[in-house]
Amino acid sequence: MGGCFSDTKGGQQAVGGAHRSTPFDRPSDQGHNDAVDHFMRSRGLHALFTQIELSFSASKLRDLDVLSKSDPMAVVFAKKRDGTLEELGRTEVIMNTLNPVWISKITIAFQFEIIQPLVFQVYDVDTKYHNIPVKMLKLNEQDFLGEATCALSEIVTKHSKSLTLNLRERNEHRGMKNLGTFTVNAEETMASRTVVELVFRCSDLDNKDLFSKSDPFLRISRPVESGGSVPICKTEVVNNNLSPTWKPLLLTMQQFGSKDTPLTIECYDFNNNGRHSLIGKLQKSLAELQKLHEEKAGTNFYSSAPVQIDQKLLKGQLFVDRFCEKVQYSFLDYISSGFELNFMVAIDFTASNGNPRLPDSLHYIDPSGRLNAYQQAIVEVGEVIQFYDSDRHFPAWGFGGRPIDGPVSHCFNLNGSAHDSEVEGIQGIMSAYASALYNVSLAGPTLFGHVINKAAQIASCSLSDNQTKYFVLLIITDGVITDLQETKDAIVKASDLPLSILVVGVGGADFKEMEALDADNGQRLESLTGRIATRDIVQFVPMREVQSGQISIVHSLLEELPGQFLAYMRSRDIKPPLVNDPQTSGSSHFEAS
Amino acid sequence: MEEKAASLEITVISAEELRIDNRPIKKNAFVAVGTGEEKWRSTSVDRDGGSYPSWNEKLEVELPPHARSIAVQVQCKTAVGIKTVGSAEVPLSDITEGYVPARHLHFLSYRLRERDGRRNGIINLCVRMVGPTHPLRSNRWMGSSSSASSSVCKGSGVVIGVPVAWRGESKSMQF
Repeated sequence: MGGCFSDTKGGQQAVGGAHRSTPFDRPSDQGHNDAVDHFMRSRGLHALFTQIELSFSASKLRDLDVLSKSDPMAVVFAKKRDGTLEELGRTEVIMNTLNPVWISKITIAFQFEIIQPLVFQVYDVDTKYHNIPVKMLKLNEQDFLGEATCALSEIVTKHSKSLTLNLRERNEHRGMKNLGTFTVNAEETMASRTVVELVFRCSDLDNKDLFSKSDPFLRISRPVESGGSVPICKTEVVNNNLSPTWKPLLLTMQQFGSKDTPLTIECYDFNNNGRHSLIGKLQKSLAELQKLHEEKAGTNFYSSAPVQIDQKLLKGQLFVDRFCEKVQYSFLDYISSGFELNFMVAIDFTASNGNPRLPDSLHYIDPSGRLNAYQQAIVEVGEVIQFYDSDRHFPAWGFGGRPIDGPVSHCFNLNGSAHDSEVEGIQGIMSAYASALYNVSLAGPTLFGHVINKAAQIASCSLSDNQTKYFVLLIITDGVITDLQETKDAIVKASDLPLSILVVGVGGADFKEMEALDADNGQRLESLTGRIATRDIVQFVPMREVQSGQISIVHSLLEELPGQFLAYMRSRDIKPPLVNDPQTSGSSHFEAS
Repeated sequence: MEEKAASLEITVISAEELRIDNRPIKKNAFVAVGTGEEKWRSTSVDRDGGSYPSWNEKLEVELPPHARSIAVQVQCKTAVGIKTVGSAEVPLSDITEGYVPARHLHFLSYRLRERDGRRNGIINLCVRMVGPTHPLRSNRWMGSSSSASSSVCKGSGVVIGVPVAWRGESKSMQF
């Protein structure tokens, strides 16, 4: 619900309120990048950049000190793509122990779509350095006790959100010398999953406009520790109305702090020049607003801040028509309680890719080992998704090719098997792909419908088992599809299933039509029969756009996935089991009151 | 076909971009659903949503055994009486088709059409089958799949035939 200051032109819209563009309050239909992130945050989703707090302990460390035990300190690094380490933070030094439990925590942004390899190093800090702040310590002057590596997603996918690693010598694998173990514990810093949905209504507001009635909107601010207050959200503007009802507002606990935090609610008359005139203000905590709701009572606005003496009681009143506390689970809540993403791949074998034996083909497998665009997409996306797929058996298909002694197929098993499309692991996809290039002759045309329908079948049959699976189909293609309407029909149907589709465009073709499948522009897909997609399940990224820019392909492909996953689960009220949330239970007495 | 009639639980969620004579409607839209044989069921009138009304009202519609679709009509109370904004047909196949369990909660949206076929807004529904299974469901696969087999996908007490060729693809499923 940021953007509270954007009261300029176009500022009539609610910030963070119920948006019209999506029928079921779906966050994923909004624009992308920052917009999505911002929007999701405003709705309490926090899916893209969940803040994770890591805490550390170790046991059975080596003893390097002669007269006492080691004085260990842990240092956390992020391993960059080129292998270099970037320090994320250090713990304090704990004196004289081989089984330290460090108090300092390190906060790190968990990004679903990026593999975040972490390196943990433990040092014995010599007594002579103990008066120096840890930040100033030169690591190469300290005694190395061992290091351990893991990806952040390995920790957060554990149900306990805790992972114990064996400490090793630096940069060597020889001799599994016992250096002790290192335990990382991850915790989302999200204060609570509680959100409150509010519907405000006013009556008898003062008229501020000369020729018409006021155009009121509400702005809510919260006091901050440092004094003063920060706005946390505002409603949309209701034109020409002195008794307006605004659309529902969602406030997360991060935004409002606690239910006893006094919130300042100001009612303004919207002005195009941005100088909105204050109609009235009042101060109420959420607990008080809840009481108003239960008693169906109104509360009067004041002409100025309630603390000032010259305040004047106004006729205008504020009512709370809805007060509804909800618990919103995060993507990680689902993942850590056993929900998983199941990965599927479909590869384009149409002739426009060029003869795979020639170096200018998109399917050319370079003997030097350099990955072609198809391989690159498989590896980059697959590596991320496989963390969320417990069995790592991936169905893999090809389309638009002619398998050995068969007609052109628009969905054939990449591994050549007649019945089983599953291959094992990313490496399994890579080798099935490489062998298919020898056994399948490239043909055409480019049809997506078959592959999408096949994926939809698998997704729909999983529903009768349980509802803990969500499917992700990666389609890699070099060309424009010929069955645009059939593809749209298939996607519209699939929008009712636990399925998302990622499309990567390789080569230099014009992918305009693909953009139409990706409903980012706000246009919902429509099938021939008039059925309309209930949510955006397609994300399209042309490879060249990715290569020319800075962002990694995975980032732009996967950023909408947590939102699509959550939209599906939440619309059906599917909750993760086994989530313990002390914060939520702590606030339950309000519901009873 | 001697089964008792099944019924549908239809939650009318909301509608978007409703127009009458190309002008966005101001208020008082409501939705009626029916199969033609039964009495129509309708929602209350939306007062605040303008041309983006929302109802979130649950209606139950009984399904005659031969029903193939459900009609959804969006109407609007105006000073001169009730006007039809647009209507949509919900084919039952959208609910019964495929491998989803019968009681799957479907979120469905449809384009509304005016009497003369012109496009109007969108209606958003949430539909769930209740009561005994509609006979359509058990008949479907015999005709539509040339290789309908005896392999069976069980869920919520419903039996669906699954084409042979597909079965191998998801051995992770338990039937």
